[in-house]
Amino acid sequence: MGRLERLPWRTIILVVLAVLILATIAIGAFRTLTEGAYSADAWRDFIILGLAQGAIYALVALGYTLVYGILRMINFAHGEVFMFGAFASYFFSAAYAESGFLDREPLLSLTILLVVAMATSAGVAMLLERVAYRPLRGAPRLVPLITAIGASLFLANTARGFFGSSPRGYRKPEVLEGSWTFLGGDVPKIRVVVLLTAALAVVALSLFVARTKTGRSMRAVAEDSEIASLMGVHVDGVIVTTFAIGGLLAGIAGVLYSMTFEQVNFFMGFQIGIAAFTAAVLGGIGSIAGAAIGGLSLGLLQALGPSLILTGYHIPSPFQLREAFTFLVLVLVLIFRPGGILGTGEAEKV
Amino acid sequence: MGPVGVRSAIAAGLIGFVGSLYLALVGLTERFADLELIGEQITLGRLLIVLPPLITGFVVSRPRVVAGERRVASLGQASAAGAFAGGVAGAVFGAAVAFAEWFGVDRIREVFITVSPTLIEFLTFEQGVAVGFVILTVLGLIAGGVGGALKAASSRVRRPIVVGASVTVLLGLLQRIIPVAMRQLDLDPSVLYLPSAGLTVPAAIVVFALAAGANVLWTRSGQQVRARFRATASEQPIVRTAVLLAILAIASTVPLLVGTVISEVLGTVMVFMLLGLGLNIVVGYAGLLDLGYVAFFAFGAYALALLTGATLNTTTGAAAPAFSLDLSFYLSVWIVAALAAGVGVLIGAPVLRLRGDYLAIVTLGLGEIVSILTQSRWLQPVVGGPQGMRGVTDAAIGDISFRPPQNFYYLALAFVMLAVFVSWRLSSSRVGRAWNAMREDEQIADAMGISTTKYKLLAFAMGGAIGAIGGALFAVKIGSLTPASFQILVSITALAVVVLGGLGSIPGVVVGALVLIGLPGLLREFEEYRQLIYGGTLVAIMVLRPQGLIPNVRRTRELHEEEVEQDAWARSAAQREEPYATVVVGDTVDEEERST
Repeated sequence: MGRLERLPWRTIILVVLAVLILATIAIGAFRTLTEGAYSADAWRDFIILGLAQGAIYALVALGYTLVYGILRMINFAHGEVFMFGAFASYFFSAAYAESGFLDREPLLSLTILLVVAMATSAGVAMLLERVAYRPLRGAPRLVPLITAIGASLFLANTARGFFGSSPRGYRKPEVLEGSWTFLGGDVPKIRVVVLLTAALAVVALSLFVARTKTGRSMRAVAEDSEIASLMGVHVDGVIVTTFAIGGLLAGIAGVLYSMTFEQVNFFMGFQIGIAAFTAAVLGGIGSIAGAAIGGLSLGLLQALGPSLILTGYHIPSPFQLREAFTFLVLVLVLIFRPGGILGTGEAEKV
Repeated sequence: MGPVGVRSAIAAGLIGFVGSLYLALVGLTERFADLELIGEQITLGRLLIVLPPLITGFVVSRPRVVAGERRVASLGQASAAGAFAGGVAGAVFGAAVAFAEWFGVDRIREVFITVSPTLIEFLTFEQGVAVGFVILTVLGLIAGGVGGALKAASSRVRRPIVVGASVTVLLGLLQRIIPVAMRQLDLDPSVLYLPSAGLTVPAAIVVFALAAGANVLWTRSGQQVRARFRATASEQPIVRTAVLLAILAIASTVPLLVGTVISEVLGTVMVFMLLGLGLNIVVGYAGLLDLGYVAFFAFGAYALALLTGATLNTTTGAAAPAFSLDLSFYLSVWIVAALAAGVGVLIGAPVLRLRGDYLAIVTLGLGEIVSILTQSRWLQPVVGGPQGMRGVTDAAIGDISFRPPQNFYYLALAFVMLAVFVSWRLSSSRVGRAWNAMREDEQIADAMGISTTKYKLLAFAMGGAIGAIGGALFAVKIGSLTPASFQILVSITALAVVVLGGLGSIPGVVVGALVLIGLPGLLREFEEYRQLIYGGTLVAIMVLRPQGLIPNVRRTRELHEEEVEQDAWARSAAQREEPYATVVVGDTVDEEERST
């Protein structure tokens, strides 16, 4: 092996792989565009869809990023936190839709839905931390990870037992039906609302972390929890707060997602969870801006990628492969740039 | 109530209430309402009513540290505290039931679909809410008192009781397998079991007494027996061989005794045992968390189908796949295993330098990619897309087909034994020790001259090969493949099998597969709660007993070493030290898991 190891095999393989991938993308995109499979309007719709979807990913991704930043653990069950928020708000929205309150007072009812979803998600996240993760603090790495997987499955199936396995239709206020004309095309109103709400939430979170005392404690614990505790920071309290904030954001995402896709079901957390985690890694896990950028990029990649690249190769039903595309992006990011877009590009060892 | 304060007893009672409420809302209580375990009165559903207050009573009487002094509750104090906490749990639960009745079952049902008039009737013992409240409170009191007394009793008393009760419940749960086996042996099942239901009351008492007695004997002289056995076994290797042969003989007569239906379940157990053994190499030995194990499983199944000339299912009938060979099973299975090892290396190579949790996510992603590809239209010409494939070989030797469940069992048993042998030899070999070193501290292992990349890839390749053989056998077992069989749940099930028994422990995998695949397979009532049980098992084992039910010795030592190192973890573990030593808490919790 001695001689072989002197050759930079890894680098060679990675470069070849990168060239191959770029070539595949370029050829696919070129062929799709020259064949004119989609009109300009279709591309614009893809982009708006991608951005709105990405905004939701960003909100959920923030939950992963915050927890990872502080505990260095991946909270696999975060997707289920999101799902519980969506379900809780569903029951209110269904009741309000029936009584007509939803259409009469859209702003007020939306606020209530958001508050309900945020409270539920935050509650589930805090409970999860208390019951499943806190007893494992300081345990070998594998242990909390396996726990998190189990918690994810357990929570999803708890929802299945509580609320049943059939999906339920989610009504949105009439005001949000239809679309606005914008830049010479129709943009569904709900997408605009999703983007604005998510942007607001991200800004609020950044301010919170940057300006408040709690935010400062969070940053201190993320930096070094032992020293932070010596400086008088209540580490357990900060951890709970972090989970709660992640839950609040996931709750917002839950309402926005349900209104976009007009349904809730018990397994919705899994796909969103994975996509959001991918977004967090893509942007650079541990960074708030990274989660936002990663979310939007992933949304765009998902919306544009399959049609732009796969159509060029005449692969049937490219959208079926959309999720596979997500995972592929994740794998490639981790191989080529484990630190993410905003990261250092260095693989974290150990 | 001695060292247990009123406030902490009330708090414990409320947690017990939440437990009862959870079981009722998630639907388990009603689902098992009619599953008779012992006689006609003791059903699993009723057990689920009693269990939360019992556990509450048990936990609340644990020794506490008061003003720096460890104080143990006396028997009387513990039973009183337990009864109080259990009573609170029962009373609040009874109040909740009454509230549900008053508020309107239909209105609650709009949110929690499991709340139904039948559930309320069951929870009130069909006596109306007022009497039901009293019954639930009294049951809670009694169960909590028993729990507290158990906790305070010396382990010589407690262990036989817990073991006896567990065995009795287990036999009750096995009501669909033991009577069949007895009939095959020309025994009259009505000695033990009511017709198509649980144990008879006298039988239950006898079973309890026997199990408890056996436990007493084992506690008294088990140590010596084991020591003597070890001594003889090391002097005369023939003893060990004889034991192995005996186990083998029992394993190979099982399908003849239990009939087709149960053999079918056993076949699935075997397939997952194989998956567990493969995953055990990756996770248990090498310490790499692979959440995409389904990728190898699917690869094995589809590759075998393609190599042995299976056809595609289409709307118009069968069609030849884009690639197909017509080899024998016994050749193809090795080709599949070798290919899967290659795939393992290919998957592993780019991601192995990443941290453990990234590795988990990447493998999860790869597993998902594989299961998406199996159902995509893109690969439909090769693997059949959503309609899948059919006509997989039945691995026949001469006239003997291995499709029938009883025959399949033997085929699977052969491969499981092979995998056990390989795992066992690997674990103490140079490779196994390298894996151990790597798992415990990668950097130090590297510094000691172990090529971590090489050994990680080897683990991936070995695990992949065994997983693919599992997939190949699965294909033979069911004869036709659809993407529905290759979902993420397979990965998590395999992980739960490994974790329940104990990471790195071969007997653990066997027991894990029997418990997690066998029990739900035998009781169809469990089917829809399978995933809930798997999820719950993973969390409960990791929080309460991370070394698993049948721990690997070296692995346990490692977990404990880290406890010493990391004081937060040590402190929380020290609080649970006592139940750990006696194993009783572990057992009751597992019992709860098994029955939920």
